[in-house]
Amino acid sequence: MKAIFYLVQKEFRQIFRDHMMVRIIFLLPLLQLFIFGYAVNNDLKDVRISILDQDNSVESRHLADAFLNSSLFIPGPAAHSPADLDDLIYKGKTDITLWIPNDYSSSLSVGQEAQVGIAVDGKNSNLGGRAGGYAMAIIRQEGQRLRDARMLDNPLLRAKMKEIKTATRFFYNPELVSRTYMVPGIVVLVVTIISGLLTGMAVVRENEIGTLEQLMVTPITSLQLIAGKTIPFMILAFFELAFATVVAVLWFKIPIAGSLWLLTGSSLVYLVVTLGSGILASTVSRTQQQAMFTVWFFLVFGILMSGFFYPIENMPMAMQWLTYLNPLRYFLSIVRGLFLKGITLSDSLPDLIPMALLGIIIFGAAILRFRKTVA
Amino acid sequence: MNDNNGYAVRTDKLTRRFGSFTAVDAIDLAVKPGEIFGFLGANGAGKTTAIRMLCGLLAPTEGEAWVDGLPISSKAEEVKRHIGYMSQKFSLYNDLHVIENLEFYGGVYGLDKAEIRSRSTELLARVGLEDKGRTMTVDLSLGYKQRLALGCSVIHRPNILFLDEPTSGVDPIARRQFWDLIYELADQGTTVFVTTHYMDEAEYCSRVSIMVAGHIEAMGAPEELKTKHDVPDMQQLFITLVNR
Repeated sequence: MKAIFYLVQKEFRQIFRDHMMVRIIFLLPLLQLFIFGYAVNNDLKDVRISILDQDNSVESRHLADAFLNSSLFIPGPAAHSPADLDDLIYKGKTDITLWIPNDYSSSLSVGQEAQVGIAVDGKNSNLGGRAGGYAMAIIRQEGQRLRDARMLDNPLLRAKMKEIKTATRFFYNPELVSRTYMVPGIVVLVVTIISGLLTGMAVVRENEIGTLEQLMVTPITSLQLIAGKTIPFMILAFFELAFATVVAVLWFKIPIAGSLWLLTGSSLVYLVVTLGSGILASTVSRTQQQAMFTVWFFLVFGILMSGFFYPIENMPMAMQWLTYLNPLRYFLSIVRGLFLKGITLSDSLPDLIPMALLGIIIFGAAILRFRKTVA
Repeated sequence: MNDNNGYAVRTDKLTRRFGSFTAVDAIDLAVKPGEIFGFLGANGAGKTTAIRMLCGLLAPTEGEAWVDGLPISSKAEEVKRHIGYMSQKFSLYNDLHVIENLEFYGGVYGLDKAEIRSRSTELLARVGLEDKGRTMTVDLSLGYKQRLALGCSVIHRPNILFLDEPTSGVDPIARRQFWDLIYELADQGTTVFVTTHYMDEAEYCSRVSIMVAGHIEAMGAPEELKTKHDVPDMQQLFITLVNR
């Protein structure tokens, strides 16, 4: 036990003497929080719309106004022909176009189907899809309004019709602000990077300078050595977790609905996974660069497949199955659930249990591999 | 097993193979306590492999060795408490203070706090670094680094000290000072098992063995070997045996 204390003490001395390391540990998380918290913005607002109204009737102006009066759209550059509209989208000068052809009101007046054209810039598929959906909703609403107006003229019809209204309300993140969704994700990322990346590099560094061999001729066991390497980064990761959570709550005003104990406990389980991965990466790497790239490779994969940026439900089925092997997926789901929904321990079990299993497998493999490489 | 009593290191047909390559081929050694035993050989002769087996870093393929009376095949972990080891890489932490390196190895060997303190101070003085305790290790000269590494490897007062090319790359004065330390340790009863490429250092040893391609070609006191092979110095002896 005493040997572990000296290993941990030594590790902390080395970490805090390395200025670059101190910056990575304290500045990087802050930077990530602010960049992702502010810059990565999936919020739907100020979508530019260019409207070509070739009908120029009461009805067509009413439709155009329905768009411009919504809080989502702002007027984009004007167009004089349908080709103009395409050009504006192509050049990125507008996000969405609405073309009202000159037979719009005449078709309506004879009770025929009226057609309008909508084109959406799909470069950002998420934004585009949502803006398109919103536009469709406005048009449906306009159609409903027109039907209602016609029914008012025909009392017989009005009596038969039942009024159907759909109202959508979002739970947990009522304004659908991406920040509320992103910041808890960053908390997860910060903890992952500190624990996984730094542990792996710390072990390989000892191998590089030859001290690992020196340690192996001392009476300390490989388990003590692993403890000595993982405990410092576990402590740092918890520090980062607390730090990032405080910034999330106090600066970004993201409330934590769930229990801090569950956050701490599930983090501990998750750290078994990441610290184990770090050790595992170190056993297949000869240099710190190799360790870094190994961890980085899995980290990028893990982040993309976790639902951090893209919802898992939108992935192809095979990929969805693959995400069940991704520990990040579970922890992200727990942390987001904790922040936004206030999930309890029993709610978190479907994520917590597979995560713990992965932790046992990965850490176990790390111990076996580590013993084999150093002995 | 009784025949191991009294020997610091003894090997019996100690062998290590890597695939079809035999790095160490059935070597027999017997080193008495307090001896400075020179373990000589060309690069790739198998010296480091043999030392790594004796230190419990590598399991033998065949044969057995006893270090401080303990069989390495079954008691490798216990052997580690009885030995000190310093390799050519002298594994120090460059980003720790000089004294912190000593304290760390003291802690790893399970010394208690008071012991670590007294032993670190003592060893600092012994290796001539008493005023450099708070110096960053990276700032030490190579000669000092080697002496500090030696200090770290004996902090737990091992009975047997293994040195694998400890003096490679330093000037003759630093080498001389290093050997003064080795003599001091041997005088206090530590057995020193040392590999080297410097044949003048071989002359300092009580006994030497010369290893060629996994075999031990000659073993004995330097004077004795020189007479036997009719050569003027160890350099000549080494060249004769390696080229044979």
